[in-house]
Amino acid sequence: MDPIQERCTLETRRHFFGRAAGGLGLAALGTILLEEAATRRAHGAQEPVTATGGLPGLPHFKPKAKRAIYLFMNGGPAQQDLFDHKPLMADLFDKDLPESVRMGQRLTTMTSGQKRFPVAPSMYKFQKHGKCGAWVSELLPWTARMVDDIAIVKTVHTEAINHDPAVTYIQTGSQIPGRPSLGAWISYGLGTENSTLPTFVVMTPSWTGRKEAQAIYNRLWGSGFLPSKLAGVYLRSQGDPVLFLKDPPGVSPEARRRMLDALARMNRRLYDKVGDPETNARIAQYEMAFRMQSSVPELTDLSGEPEHVLELYGPDVRKPGTFAYSCLMARRLVERGVRLVQLFHRGWDQHFNIPSDLPNQCRDVDQACYALVQDLKARGLLDETLVLWGGEFGRTVYCQGGLSRTNYGRDHHPRCFTMWLAGGGVKGGVVHGETDDFSYNVVRDPVHIRDLNATILHCLGIDHQKLSVKHQGLDVRLTGVEPASPVWPILG
Amino acid sequence: MVSVCRFPPPSSALGPLLGLLAWLAPALQSADRAAGAPSKPVDFAREIRPILSEKCLACHGPDSKKRKAKLRLDVREGVFRVEEGRAVTVPGKPEESHLYLRLTSTDPSERMPPEDSGKKPLSAEEVQRVRDWIAQGAAWKQHWAFEAPVRPALPPVRNEAWPRNEVDRFILARLEKEGLEPSPEADRPTIIRRVAFDLTGLPPEPEEVDAFVADARPDAYEHLVERLLKSPHHGEHMARFWLDAARYGDTHGLHLDNLRVMWPYRDWVIEAFNANMPYDRFAIEQLAGDLLPGATLEQQVASGFNRCHVTTSEGGVIEDEVYVRNVVDRVDTTGTLFLGMTVGCAVCHDHKYDPLSMKDYYSLFALFNSLDESPLDGNAAAHAPVVRVPTREVLAEIEGLRQQIAGVEREVREKAAGFPYAEPAGAAPRPPEPKEVVWIDDDLPEGSKPNGEWRWVEEPVASGKRAHAGTASGLAQHFFEGAKDPLAVAEGDALFVHVWIDPKSPPKEVMLQWNDGSWEHRAYWGENRIDWGQDGTPSRRRTGDLPEPGKWARLEVPAAQVGLAAGAKVHGLAFTQFDGTLYWDRAGTVTRDPSRLGFESFAAWKEALRGAPGSLPQEVRALLEHDPSKRGEDGERRLREHFIEHAYAPARALFEPLHVRLAEARKRVEAIERELPTTLVSKERAEPRPSYVLKRGQYDQRGEPVERATPAFLPPMEEGLPKDRLGFARWLVDPAHPLTARVAVNRLWSQVFGTGIVRTSEDFGSQGEPPVHPELLDWLATELAGTGWDVKVLLRKLVLSAAYRQSSRVTPDRLAKDPENRLLSRGPRFRLDAEMIRDQALAVGGLLVRAIGGPSVKPPQPAGLWEAVGYTGSNTARFAPDSGDKVRRRSLYTFWKRTAPPPQMATFDAPSREACRVRRERTNTPLQALQLMNEEQQVEAARNLAQRALVESGATPRERAARMFRLAAARPPDPEDLADMVGLYEAQIAELRKSPEAAKALLGVGETKPDPALDPVELAAWTMVGSLVLNLDEVVNKG
Repeated sequence: MDPIQERCTLETRRHFFGRAAGGLGLAALGTILLEEAATRRAHGAQEPVTATGGLPGLPHFKPKAKRAIYLFMNGGPAQQDLFDHKPLMADLFDKDLPESVRMGQRLTTMTSGQKRFPVAPSMYKFQKHGKCGAWVSELLPWTARMVDDIAIVKTVHTEAINHDPAVTYIQTGSQIPGRPSLGAWISYGLGTENSTLPTFVVMTPSWTGRKEAQAIYNRLWGSGFLPSKLAGVYLRSQGDPVLFLKDPPGVSPEARRRMLDALARMNRRLYDKVGDPETNARIAQYEMAFRMQSSVPELTDLSGEPEHVLELYGPDVRKPGTFAYSCLMARRLVERGVRLVQLFHRGWDQHFNIPSDLPNQCRDVDQACYALVQDLKARGLLDETLVLWGGEFGRTVYCQGGLSRTNYGRDHHPRCFTMWLAGGGVKGGVVHGETDDFSYNVVRDPVHIRDLNATILHCLGIDHQKLSVKHQGLDVRLTGVEPASPVWPILG
Repeated sequence: MVSVCRFPPPSSALGPLLGLLAWLAPALQSADRAAGAPSKPVDFAREIRPILSEKCLACHGPDSKKRKAKLRLDVREGVFRVEEGRAVTVPGKPEESHLYLRLTSTDPSERMPPEDSGKKPLSAEEVQRVRDWIAQGAAWKQHWAFEAPVRPALPPVRNEAWPRNEVDRFILARLEKEGLEPSPEADRPTIIRRVAFDLTGLPPEPEEVDAFVADARPDAYEHLVERLLKSPHHGEHMARFWLDAARYGDTHGLHLDNLRVMWPYRDWVIEAFNANMPYDRFAIEQLAGDLLPGATLEQQVASGFNRCHVTTSEGGVIEDEVYVRNVVDRVDTTGTLFLGMTVGCAVCHDHKYDPLSMKDYYSLFALFNSLDESPLDGNAAAHAPVVRVPTREVLAEIEGLRQQIAGVEREVREKAAGFPYAEPAGAAPRPPEPKEVVWIDDDLPEGSKPNGEWRWVEEPVASGKRAHAGTASGLAQHFFEGAKDPLAVAEGDALFVHVWIDPKSPPKEVMLQWNDGSWEHRAYWGENRIDWGQDGTPSRRRTGDLPEPGKWARLEVPAAQVGLAAGAKVHGLAFTQFDGTLYWDRAGTVTRDPSRLGFESFAAWKEALRGAPGSLPQEVRALLEHDPSKRGEDGERRLREHFIEHAYAPARALFEPLHVRLAEARKRVEAIERELPTTLVSKERAEPRPSYVLKRGQYDQRGEPVERATPAFLPPMEEGLPKDRLGFARWLVDPAHPLTARVAVNRLWSQVFGTGIVRTSEDFGSQGEPPVHPELLDWLATELAGTGWDVKVLLRKLVLSAAYRQSSRVTPDRLAKDPENRLLSRGPRFRLDAEMIRDQALAVGGLLVRAIGGPSVKPPQPAGLWEAVGYTGSNTARFAPDSGDKVRRRSLYTFWKRTAPPPQMATFDAPSREACRVRRERTNTPLQALQLMNEEQQVEAARNLAQRALVESGATPRERAARMFRLAAARPPDPEDLADMVGLYEAQIAELRKSPEAAKALLGVGETKPDPALDPVELAAWTMVGSLVLNLDEVVNKG
């Protein structure tokens, strides 16, 4: 590798978005190298410097997935109304959940005071689909069409029983705020592969299921104790897509260029005078910002998308901020080398009124999920893009509140819930794990959320045991200190 | 635990780079001493202990459960153990030391660390170091940070002329050892800007720079430092660092993330720094201010420190679990901030690296677990225990009103006693006429606790000065309860409210609801949309259609119809609507309650009231119910006076105005008190909660009970100290404590010099980085404790040092030998923190509002950021910016919603305040560039900076550019800088002359209006130059 090239790649590391304009002297190069090494030491981390700005030795092995799209269903979708078919429940309508099933496990205080735990069978019809014959409910007709493309995991489980800790847990590996998010870990380990867009992008699409939607938190895509540049960049559907992207009114592109040229000249002179390598880094950041000012609008301009693609995603795709629109944007992002795109779709917390709210939630996401997977496949991107769908926990088989034949609700259930994965090293047409007749306990192949995170890292070429950072004297990992393992049977 | 290697093997991916560096920086090579060269003295603390800690202690350390072969390498007994003739370490004899032999064994089953441990083997260089250390006699020392600092002698230096104070002797001694020269002193504009930022967080004004440059006194700089240390903005700046550590925020931080009012604590911190409160007191008052004998209000406010952690009230949470988490946060924060220890490891197991057992941890836990509070915050801004915090002015106002009330009461008593009364002849009890009693008009009844959104408006109004408005999509409610003087319901009473329905947006339903201890009394008008109670019963009674919109209408319902029988006492009222907009006013009862009606005859009144005492005060009622013969003269007189004051018709004209005056004054006091800010404080329960070792840290897995105690490896608590937070705090600030002073001075050092003497400010344990200047750290620690914990004395010492005053210019040689400037061969130079960058822009633009303290404020931020994440029912789900002065306050006062922190701050590495942070990263990203170029207040500041230059300086472009540059950078610009600025101005003006509407658009950014006397095109052109200046590396850095 030639020295200039080397320098450029070094700069990517510290600058997050890619390589900077060249043109600095060799002395400057040396200072950047040194300074870079110093910065890395500051984090007490492994010595730096790979072409992407990730950690050396990463990926640990050849990754199947270069990128990932994480469709997060915030609130906890009811697995037994969507994927985890429990036909025996039909006969147990309004019968008490047997103590032999519950086994005294803790409940949230929203239902722990209930006098009864009456079984609420799903009122939705299930059918077997695809070659694999996976059961999917009528609420997800589009997802049902692609069961041979996805691996359905029915036995994901967690310990957290409330939203804030549970979603913080699945996204950061700890129930208590303060840890880096999954995306920050990935950026930290792998660096970036593109030069004009962030490497980790987050969207928060609109929802229609339940108005009183559970909150999400910036920490879910935050960098925790890692440098803030590793945090997810929030791509908005209102105002500037990226915060402060647009020049102020009355500032022409020519004016911006002039200002940046003057800025670079003055900063360069300062560098000559003071010699702080950080000054050169700043010059590069301003140039990167300038490039983003054109790359981001290009990203969000859908006018070049063919009609058949838009139709694939459904009518919502034309409304900025919807889940369908965000899915299309996710595809455009990964096409442009963004490594992780995360959508946080809210409104899945159906304590009551499943029959009125859950179908709306499903309608928000179903066709778009299908479209995303098919669109990626058609473009040859699915093989190298991991797609995930799921929430922070599942829901109880027993009813919360009043139970009738036409209305019921479900409380939080951490002991088993369903997620699906597709593409990027995951086998299609697989149903993994089995739960008991009540969709209450796992009976075969449990997948802890740690295992799920280990799987995501594995697909991206990372051994979850080896990606750690020293913080407060500890070697902190996304998957924590308990044993965890990728879910081998779903990996191709 | 699996770990990774942090000592890079000699030829890693860095190899080729090191090759490249070799000719740039030959010094780097010498760091890798070739094996076989004569061994240089090995420092156990710096060079060997970290290896043991990293490679060995996970299995041979403090964690008794994971310990292998019963061998401990963190204590002397273990390192020198001899068992069955095999010695772990034989001083002077590496070949007989199993410590060394096991590292070098060729048998993989023997060699340490084992392959399956996840630890990488030691590098050849590290093995050699261990060998050298044993060969040199294996000097062993306790981990440096756990032994009390001993004041070191000042080291000798060759260049006696350079040091200005003690700090410099330590710095210079090391520089000389490393073959480095200190840098020359920075020029005056540079040094004044640097020290102004470090002591106040704000840039100097050009006039201050001029005065300092012209100050010929030999101690001009000392004078400057004194002035800055006395500035009230000093405390603000110091507080900001502290608040990161104290995890101060304006919301609860979890789930709903509702508002939390806590800013009086923030103001206490500012005030404490301004008053230079000694650090020991500062620590004691925050950890245990509430436990101090006769704790003042301020000391209670300070104890809010223990309450700053994030809290939740998420539906479904298990209280015990939350309780444990809250206490763990307190213990961890205290550990990190005061002890520099990562005590949190011991929540689940004995610490792997430091001698802190689980038992130690839960003994600390026991000190912090007994606050008298609900672990759940109830989503309330004032999560009890709280105190109300009046300012001095407010206290005076309340006192004045109280005196006024006492005066009127006296007057009433005198007038009632002196009022002539004679029983009219032949008067008989007559049935009382119903009378309207107004309960709510312009304000809520005394004592009531409002809930929901009370929006008072002055238009439309049915009576009095204001009405309250309700707008809803779907269901909305506001209500109060707890009125001090409840409405007594008498037989035949009716309840009423006035409403005005917006014709443009009529609600579908309105509902009234009364509380007599239960809310199950509802009347509604219009559609049956609100699903509360049971329709057709007193718990949901349809009372009529909605009244005609666009005019005031009276809604009335007989009390009996909503289940309020005679004798009921109503102390709360709820207003509920479904959709639409309406206004509520003047509510009360039409009453037959005789205690509220006027009488001509005392005898008739007594008679009427005997059977139905209504809302008579208890004392009067008791007298009335007494046998008249036993009332006595006093009783009879008291009763008559009450009658005259309240019910005698001829006396109404005299007493009613006095009653109005009393009610108004009382209401005012109450309103003031209601408005008094609250702040969360610590308050100890009468009986401490028991504490247990929690197995694996699980809240419901109690192990052995533990007593309150400090960790066993640290010096014991003095006899006689109470076993509570106060005793703990006093133990902490014992001058002989090995950690407290070191940890505190290290943070102050890092504030000023950019990096701590111990880089890991949060971890002084064996996994932390050893100090780069250990003697200096100890000297400073003993200095702090020795001066009575005087923080300003210490800071002064730092900024008066020659080390601090050096130029920050970097030469290649210095960069090579000291890439991070840990040795301080040059002055500190690093990017300003988020708050300083914004405050600077506001200051140089002349926009900064320098008021100190008060409620947090909301400067503008891009729309939708709170909404995107917030729980719909949260009271911080929607962001509405403030305006005027509030948006131009220092960033310290910016409202901190912890689940969506202000983006302008977060982009520049400000923490979320969800957890204790004692050091910030400093990143450099394109998002920061975008913010500084395009964010509204940055652009507004650029325009105001330009405007200042146009108004304050000469008329030539060069003069104007120079003024602008000086305002931001303190120094005068170089000719080339001027050329670039003027060049940009000229190009801009040429462009904007052709499109004046663009100029106008640019000037429209921000809330302030441009000076109308200025040519808009010219101002817009200069605005771009202003933006250029605010984006300069020199300006966003402390140089």
